[in-house]
Amino acid sequence: MDVGIEAAGVRRSFGAVQAVQDVTFSAAPGRVTGLVGPNGSGKTTLMLMLASLLQPDAGEMRIGGVDPVADPSGARRLLGWMPDALGAWPSLTAREVLIATAQLYDLSPTDARARADALLELVDLTALAASAARVLSRGQKQRLALARALVHDPRVLLLDEPASGLDPQARIALRVLLRRLAAEGRTVLISSHVLSELEEVVDDAVFLVDGRTVAGDRVAAAASRTRSWRVRLMIDPSRGAEAARGDVAAALGRLPDEIAADRRDLLVPFADDAGAVAGLRALVGAGVPVLEFAPAVGDLEHAFLDLRVGPGNEGSPA
Amino acid sequence: MSLHRLRTVMGIELRQRVRSLGWYVLLGVFAVLLIGILVLSFASFALSGGGDGWFFSLVIMLVLLLVLLVSPTLSGSAVNGDRDAATLAPVQVTLVTTTEIVLGKFLAAWISGLAFLVVALPFLLIAMVAGSLNPAVVFVSLIILIVEVGIVAAIGVGFSAVFARPLFSVASTYLVVAALTIGTLIAFSLGGFALRSEQVTVSRDLDWSAVPAGCDPGLLSPSDECPTYDELPCVENTYTSEVPRFDRVWWVLAANPFVILADATPPTYVGGYPQDLFSQISYSVRSAQKSPEAQQGYDGCTPPAVPDNNTPEDQVEGTIPSWFVGLLVQLLVAAGLLAWGIARTRTPARRLPPGTRIA
Repeated sequence: MDVGIEAAGVRRSFGAVQAVQDVTFSAAPGRVTGLVGPNGSGKTTLMLMLASLLQPDAGEMRIGGVDPVADPSGARRLLGWMPDALGAWPSLTAREVLIATAQLYDLSPTDARARADALLELVDLTALAASAARVLSRGQKQRLALARALVHDPRVLLLDEPASGLDPQARIALRVLLRRLAAEGRTVLISSHVLSELEEVVDDAVFLVDGRTVAGDRVAAAASRTRSWRVRLMIDPSRGAEAARGDVAAALGRLPDEIAADRRDLLVPFADDAGAVAGLRALVGAGVPVLEFAPAVGDLEHAFLDLRVGPGNEGSPA
Repeated sequence: MSLHRLRTVMGIELRQRVRSLGWYVLLGVFAVLLIGILVLSFASFALSGGGDGWFFSLVIMLVLLLVLLVSPTLSGSAVNGDRDAATLAPVQVTLVTTTEIVLGKFLAAWISGLAFLVVALPFLLIAMVAGSLNPAVVFVSLIILIVEVGIVAAIGVGFSAVFARPLFSVASTYLVVAALTIGTLIAFSLGGFALRSEQVTVSRDLDWSAVPAGCDPGLLSPSDECPTYDELPCVENTYTSEVPRFDRVWWVLAANPFVILADATPPTYVGGYPQDLFSQISYSVRSAQKSPEAQQGYDGCTPPAVPDNNTPEDQVEGTIPSWFVGLLVQLLVAAGLLAWGIARTRTPARRLPPGTRIA
């Protein structure tokens, strides 16, 4: 059974505010799809509609082939939703939160207890199982919310800002967990406005700007636009950084002004990936001691910042 | 509707309540108030012998008052409070239905209200034993108390699902309680006076103008010239006045919780006179059902007949017990609010109350 997410022409407004104007995308099983957009671009509203909590004004959605508007309980069986803020019932322990949620998914009390313990283990909260959910730190709450979304072993995961508030170690654990969940054939849709965070984990990206998904060709165009590459040289202390800039400019046949300095690195713009390859080859061929040669900003960030500037507008991101 | 899920929703609600300190403080304050009432009642009723029935019924009325005052705080923020705390949406996204959520919260609020009755029970028993009362009265009053707690819980949960702000829904619940207890009283008395009707009074009286000057018919030894009472002619006077028609608005009072309590309990009459507060209130409300005579007459010319001794018990004969009508009205209001609340909380939500986030 295909348990992907499909959305076409989805629209939703709150009074005069058009939160989601036109969203069309699909997320495939076995892959982690990132929902990328600035604050207020409609990510959470879209998640709520997919999670069968909010009715769209127009458009079609399918969660594993089930329409969450026409058959909410059918969709709810398939999906696990993690809100951007964990509302914790006062005075219920982390374990009780999971047991109660499991029972709301029709698990028997015995199964619910076993499931809760397994999930606490999974998100590394076993030590805090008996603590009141309310007193957990933000990161711990995020992990508990993730465990709650997984309670009924859903085939589709809708995760709203799952990494916010997590420490680096928990972030890595989350990344590993998300990759594993995707590898099990689940569809994972994850939203974030921290692009570097998404970069590490997503296979596909859906860009959301002002309530609209950005068409794939525009994303491709944005991604192929001129971008900066970070070049780090092994600096010869006797010659200084300024000389290194001159060397690079000479090797690439450019003016030194075209090359920007960023702390101890140089930022060199290349029109496309082929240009970057040729440039690296030229640098190495000229005997410039290249230590590091990498895009200055991540793929997502590059595409996203370019999209924000808008098509046909040659801005200079980053 | 799944009992398992309903029980789970109730379990979540009740567990939070049982573990919160404020809940025990409230129960403690409630117990202290009852002790005060009991001590004061014992002290004041010790003045005269008897009156035990009055004592018990007063205590149970005060229990009803306290329960009516406490219940809205237990239920009035059940749904919108959860929405504010972002705990509602994660429940809605599970397989539990909106009906199960709202009904579960209602049952939980009812059960927590009943805890106050459990605290009150020893006091009621003390009052019963001290007053050597009819156990049927105690039993029926308890049933009515339980039902009233449930009705207020349903109204509170219903409002909490309809309005976005907890403050607003709690206040609305209090307003409904006030409307039922005080509002019905005001509507009854004002309504009775507003819907007046004309009453014709025909009075026959001796024609005093026929008494010659210098004569006094009241003298024991009347002179020949002066007429006696029997010889005086009679005149008839007719005048109209307006009387309040409480018989047209008596049903308004039927929805009053205190009237329901009083009217539902088996009346106690001794020698034809009410023996407790319940019977007294019930008698007053039932008397209001009687319409005033369109015409009444006084005859001052004939000696008055022996007055028929019409005790309150006799007067109540033939009037309609109103408590189940009132209870039915209250149940309809409560069920209607719950249904409205369920409709407003349904997901996927089409429209949201202004100023709320769904999660």
